[in-house]
Amino acid sequence: MKSSRAMSFSVRLGIFCASLGLFFVLWEVAALSAGNSLILVGPIPVLQALIGLLQNHLPHGILGIQGADAAILQTLATIVFGFVLACIVGIPVGLIMGRWKTAEVLIDPWISATYSIPVVILIPMLYFAIGADFYAEVFVTFLVTVFTIIVNTHHGVKYVSNALAEVGKSYGASESQFVTKIILPASMPDIISGMRIGMGRAILAAVLAEVLMSGNGLGGMMITFQDVLNTPYMMAVVFLIALMGIAVLQLPKILERRLFRWKETESFSREIRR
Amino acid sequence: MKASYAKYSILPGTLIIFVAVWWAMAVAVNNSREMVGPLQTGRAFVSLFTDPPLTRLLAAGLQVTITSILLGFALAVVVGVPIGVLMGRYLIADLFCDPWVNIWYSIPAIAFVPLAMNWTGVSATSSVIIAFLITVFTVIINVYGGVKNISGSLVDCGAAYGASQTQILTKIIIPATLPSIMVSLRLGISRAIEGVIIAEMVFTVVGIGGLMDDAADNLQLALSGALIIVLAVISLALAELMKYITRRAVAWKESQAMIRE
Repeated sequence: MKSSRAMSFSVRLGIFCASLGLFFVLWEVAALSAGNSLILVGPIPVLQALIGLLQNHLPHGILGIQGADAAILQTLATIVFGFVLACIVGIPVGLIMGRWKTAEVLIDPWISATYSIPVVILIPMLYFAIGADFYAEVFVTFLVTVFTIIVNTHHGVKYVSNALAEVGKSYGASESQFVTKIILPASMPDIISGMRIGMGRAILAAVLAEVLMSGNGLGGMMITFQDVLNTPYMMAVVFLIALMGIAVLQLPKILERRLFRWKETESFSREIRR
Repeated sequence: MKASYAKYSILPGTLIIFVAVWWAMAVAVNNSREMVGPLQTGRAFVSLFTDPPLTRLLAAGLQVTITSILLGFALAVVVGVPIGVLMGRYLIADLFCDPWVNIWYSIPAIAFVPLAMNWTGVSATSSVIIAFLITVFTVIINVYGGVKNISGSLVDCGAAYGASQTQILTKIIIPATLPSIMVSLRLGISRAIEGVIIAEMVFTVVGIGGLMDDAADNLQLALSGALIIVLAVISLALAELMKYITRRAVAWKESQAMIRE
């Protein structure tokens, strides 16, 4: 069993490298057959543009955008501020909804309604109501992220295993002990995975807000390069945004699997059996 | 019984509170270029259906938006379900595709917008491409997870009774994966809706999203608000429709869960 798992890792790596190579070959072939550097450029010009971007060399003749470092910093700041705000509001609200029936009945219809409606449709209205500055973008990011965090926290708190709750009750835990010693640790995996998904939503919201509102940051940069048809630089910015998404959504998953192995044991063992 | 009664009375109640707060804010702001109240928005909403030029715009926009959403979603399901099943069944497909599926799934929808703009211009085709790209990986991941988690005893049982590969697939794998497929449809439709709306807002000339963004740019905030309501109703209706369909399709599974509860 052990050796087959160990071998499967090197095989896994090999196959991943093969599929990575295949991807770049396909990309190059597609770019060649498109035959138009405005529509699609191959990986090499994009890589060159990316290096230029990271060294803060912007192509000549493009006005009205910040340097690459300032744009990246601004986008990151928007994401972090919006996300932290969403956590500060969302986790307590989810906790209260999960613990207190009245709050659930009062709040849940709002949450489930706004969960089916994409909040991003409010951006053009918010533009006029609160302006197009940094704080407006943070607010948009907060708005898009907070529901994801509330829903996941609520779910985690509500479905804490009954066995755990009963033990706490029968040993006479007070409400504060009950929440801090049982509910929070037991629902932590759901809260964390809600935060992870929320972080992905925060990136989407921040970049979209930059495209539609201020025209600053990575989103503004991306759409400016698109407007002037500088495809290599545009794709380099797209690559940076994609990389942020991948880093935020995939890396914590590995961490989660480590930290919350106890929660996953069930599905884990099932996987091995198959 | 009492809980469900409370549930149905709470929704109109919260709606009334929402409108009241909105009204109070609009009165406090008192500037129709910053914020419009529910009354003006309501009037604009009515005019969408009574004013012939606006009605024509609305009809054309609705047609484009809903077609884009459904087309992108349908394409994603047609492509995503087989790939998910293949990845769940064959280790080689799994190892080959899994990293890519996770990577592409993590890319925010807005990153696809300029790419699609370069490929097919500012058009409904681009909205369909974006909707497809952000929906298909959600579908693949959920179907894949469903196939992976089928209890081994089901497959072993089929194999022991000498079922062929196709029989195992059609008689065991697909029915047992159906609940996961339904979940993927439910999640997928929301992503398709969001993708099309994001694309249309950036394009500003396509569909209801474009109409709404355009109206806001022209400072017709009441009209923009009315179109936001239209978009909200479309998304809610499509999401609820999908919920209804999926619940019907896996009624046997739901009833099992209910008994356990």
